Amino acid sequence: MLTYLLRRLLLMIPTLLGITIVVFSVMALSPGGISAQSLTDGNMKPEERKALLDYYNKRYGLDQPAPVQYLRWLNNVSPIGFQQDENGKYTGFSLTKGMDLGDSFHYGRPVSEILGERIPITLLLNIITIPIIYIVAIAIGVKSATERGSGFDVSSSMVMLALWSIPTMLLGVLLLGFFSSIQHWQWFPTAGIGSRAAQDMPFMPHWGSLWDLGKLFLGMLFGTSLFVWLSRWQERKLRAFLAGVFGLVAGVWMAQAHASFSLFAWMVLPVLGAVILAGIGWMDYKPFRVIGLGVFGASLGILFAFQFIHEGFVRGFLFDRVWHLVLPVLCLSLGASAALAKIIRSSLLENLNADYARTARAKGLDESTVLWKHVFRNSLLPLITIIAGLLPSLLAGSLIVENIFSINGMGQLAIEAVKSRDRELVLSITWISGFLTLIGYLIADFLYTLVDPRVTYD
Amino acid sequence: MTKQQISQEHLSRRLLRKTLNGPGVSFALFWIGTLVICAVFAPFLANSMPLMMSKEGEISFPILRYLRTEDVAVLAAFFTIILLWVIPIKFKFRVNLALVVAVLAAVVVLANLYLKPPQLVIYDNFRTAAYTEVDWRVMPPIPYAPQDYLRSYGGTGLEAPLAAEADQQARIHLMGTEENGADVLSRMIHASRIALSIGIVATSISMILGIIIGGFMGYFSGIVDMLGMRLVEIFEAIPTLFLLLTFVAFFGSSLYMMMVIIGVTSWSGYARYIRAEFLKLRRQDYVQAAVAAGLPLRSILFRHMLPNGVAPLLVAASFGVASAILAEATLSFLGLGLVDDPSWGQMLNQSVTSANFNWWMAVFPGGAIFLTVFAYTLIGEAFRDAIDPNLSRAAGVQ
Repeated sequence: MLTYLLRRLLLMIPTLLGITIVVFSVMALSPGGISAQSLTDGNMKPEERKALLDYYNKRYGLDQPAPVQYLRWLNNVSPIGFQQDENGKYTGFSLTKGMDLGDSFHYGRPVSEILGERIPITLLLNIITIPIIYIVAIAIGVKSATERGSGFDVSSSMVMLALWSIPTMLLGVLLLGFFSSIQHWQWFPTAGIGSRAAQDMPFMPHWGSLWDLGKLFLGMLFGTSLFVWLSRWQERKLRAFLAGVFGLVAGVWMAQAHASFSLFAWMVLPVLGAVILAGIGWMDYKPFRVIGLGVFGASLGILFAFQFIHEGFVRGFLFDRVWHLVLPVLCLSLGASAALAKIIRSSLLENLNADYARTARAKGLDESTVLWKHVFRNSLLPLITIIAGLLPSLLAGSLIVENIFSINGMGQLAIEAVKSRDRELVLSITWISGFLTLIGYLIADFLYTLVDPRVTYD
Repeated sequence: MTKQQISQEHLSRRLLRKTLNGPGVSFALFWIGTLVICAVFAPFLANSMPLMMSKEGEISFPILRYLRTEDVAVLAAFFTIILLWVIPIKFKFRVNLALVVAVLAAVVVLANLYLKPPQLVIYDNFRTAAYTEVDWRVMPPIPYAPQDYLRSYGGTGLEAPLAAEADQQARIHLMGTEENGADVLSRMIHASRIALSIGIVATSISMILGIIIGGFMGYFSGIVDMLGMRLVEIFEAIPTLFLLLTFVAFFGSSLYMMMVIIGVTSWSGYARYIRAEFLKLRRQDYVQAAVAAGLPLRSILFRHMLPNGVAPLLVAASFGVASAILAEATLSFLGLGLVDDPSWGQMLNQSVTSANFNWWMAVFPGGAIFLTVFAYTLIGEAFRDAIDPNLSRAAGVQ
């Protein structure tokens, strides 16, 4: 195993080299290329321009031929290589010189410093998103595979396909436009992942009096229990009808909360609310019904209790962060979970009809054991392949989401870097995202051995 | 147990029939058909000049003076394809392709010789007396060109759908206007050209690249395969969107450049598919026979092996068109797309850059992107189901 790991890590080096060579040649071969001229703007005095050009050329070596530039960059980045003295002369070979990602042209600061600020933000977004994607996708995928051809399967397949093809940017723009603009519902903040004021707040939210917290808790408890009780009724039609009435009320409330009077909102929202809630109430499958109605009841109870809370509520750093992250995370997770649910469904379907599943049923195991112990475990392989690709695709997805929600993460940085032709920054972002991708593949290969004992790497 | 029966139908015909029967495919074809019609007839559907007018007893066709070479070429190609499809004589695919290309080339040469559209069109002129005070005239259904910024009406800027009509002005914008004041519906119609052409051309480029590289990798295996796989790995490890951004930011973004760039950055998936197929196929007897018969490499690879390994590639191609259209929209959305030409992504971008949320800039162009991507995805899904042997066997076809 260790030799395998070592081999894989060594094989990463040529790939990483290749990645940087590809991106560097794209930059170097382009019209204009990476030259000091492309960094200065036209309306400068000639002598100022000359001075700036000389400065860039001296600091970044931009007047040298492209291969030399690349080799110099490579030498700076690699942990072992030639050492440089103050005047840029190479003094000798060293094994311990350390990595230097260089200085950004555009920001004039060390690249490692900029990346250190930006990477945690993108990682935070992705770390929250990945579990949500998996939970939603597994729940829906398993359900629709076990009930192949049922109403749930057909409708969820269609919805998943639609969610899968909905462009992230459209989703983001719509969410931002409707739920954080003063023209519609200003429920969420428009930009960033935290407000300035939240920097000075305590970490946890706190209330004016303990009784307020009690009210909130009671409201949530009451709402949840009411709806869980409703969702456990046996009479299907009555249950759906009552849930629909609540949906109607929620829709009316939402239309009421709209910033300006809108006939369209008054016509559509109550109907939409009623249809969605009645649909959840109509569902035959208990867990989904209970969770759906329970979550609705809890939020209704909290909202209701919030009306009675007195002054002195400080939302705190944590709640502020969560509040800012709701829309971006929703935007990132919808499309990806739809894609994953489809894959889970098809991979489960293949295994549910397999001979070993029939054997397991024949020897008297109940259906849930067959599903979770036998079939699900065998269907995990394609899921793991997706994990490997999920990390890079989420990085790319956060590029769009960060742009829409003005979050200063890696994605925004990447766009700014290519727009300002920032050689050092572009190259560093490239190899770091490439490295993350390759690590993702490696993790996936290890997970294979965990899931499937037949896979070994010796 | 369903009764097994042997199908006498030709494979490709059966695949086509099964694909067309797939869920939602008729909707997808309808939408793509609408887009094709919009793209081909864009200048006649949305333009500022009259299609036909009669002034002092003299009938003229102002629109014909402003047709560009591309407009004529697209029209010619469309009608040639329709003609070849309708006439009862059926040629081979190659002959058809050659005919279309020949007609296209002839039209482009003729158009360059005889069409002299003015370099600079001042659209406001079409609202002066020379074009309005006439006996009668026929205007296009949407009487605004995509680059007609309606300056003669005074800076219109962003306007909600039908807002001008509510103001009792003499203009109707079914989908509102964009930030420069141009009609959104008109821009959407013209943008369908860019979306469709980028989708198809970029996918063709990446498929050709993928087939050549993957074919060599699969056929030769060994050292070629190892080097090729490293190349594929390199292109897969760079996030595609980031590579695209770098390409576009450094090479600029004309329409043809975008096609090439999207094509060059997305071939690795096709190469993987073809490599896997060819690795299986190269052991087959008929390939060995072709080698033994001394056929040239080109013939072995592309006439004998490719037709047998192409089916999964077509599924990937259908999804590829969707992702190419999405890639163009994303680039335009991020402000790196085409500058003056209309594009759905660029219009979608305008819904958030301004202080207000302009819903019509999000809903209509975004809806068009969504429906197009959805349509290609539906076709891809149906095609994948059609070529899946497990599903066929379950249905009793062998």
